[in-house]
Amino acid sequence: MLKIIFGDTQNAVYHPPTYFDNTYEDEWITDPLSVEMIKDIDGSEVISPRVIDSPVLGSISVKELSGGVKTLMLMQFDDSGKIFNASACGDNCAKWIVRISRHKDLTINLHHIMNFDDCEDFSAVIVNTGKTVNSSKEYVDEAFRIEER
Amino acid sequence: MKGKHHIIIQNRRVKFEFDIKRNITIVRGDSATGKTTLVSMVDTYDRLGSDSGIDISCDKRCLTLNNSNWEAVLDSVKDSIIFIDEENTVVKTDAFAKKIRITDNYYVIITRENLPNLPYSVEEIYGIHRSGKYADMKQTYNSFYRLYTSDERINRASARFH
Repeated sequence: MLKIIFGDTQNAVYHPPTYFDNTYEDEWITDPLSVEMIKDIDGSEVISPRVIDSPVLGSISVKELSGGVKTLMLMQFDDSGKIFNASACGDNCAKWIVRISRHKDLTINLHHIMNFDDCEDFSAVIVNTGKTVNSSKEYVDEAFRIEER
Repeated sequence: MKGKHHIIIQNRRVKFEFDIKRNITIVRGDSATGKTTLVSMVDTYDRLGSDSGIDISCDKRCLTLNNSNWEAVLDSVKDSIIFIDEENTVVKTDAFAKKIRITDNYYVIITRENLPNLPYSVEEIYGIHRSGKYADMKQTYNSFYRLYTSDERINRASARFH
């Protein structure tokens, strides 16, 4: 189940990429889901837990992955109870957020209206209003009603 | 500071080339398009100059600011182009909006958030596009593209309310 909180909230991490750099575990990087997300978002190949092959930057460290993919890995693996700001993710991360939320209860924080138009069977609870939305259109309509966003 | 400024920022692997036309430019878009790489290159060049291996071609100084040094930077820097990455929440504050109003710098702000405190045009909201132009096997070429035009924005808004 995906839960979305618009605006500032307690226990939220505003810039997840920095939090990731200081908390990630090597095994997160080689997890099949991470390998797939890194390939899709960054176009990069995971060579080993500490080496990534980027088509643009060449051989890079994990810290040079995109902010979007770092935030997705935190959503999947971090168990601290923190809520991560998905506004650090581009719209190309939306389908992965939905996919992660199909396997776990995932609460994300947004400071903009992310585009979920390309996500099949999208549903989410908008925590600010308590409303469950069952399509991206319902989500946008609800988001526009929320002053905090 | 007035007018258009052409900027080229490059190292051996990546090249960014774009024009800045207004005092506030917003950059957003998909993940992994090079936004943070761009700001990091500006920051490194400002600290180390050509010893960084980075080359910046621009008629104005390019530099960065962050949450902890922003006031000192704005008090001391004039006639420059200041890049601000998305981790810096200061861009949302009234204090920042008030301060930049009395500066003559241009600002390139990486954010997906709306910044109602700041007077920027939808026409100056860009994404970064990787293209084959000038690119070779070793260096990728990246330029800005306009994300919205005024007409698109109006059409989108009216579609939502009908």
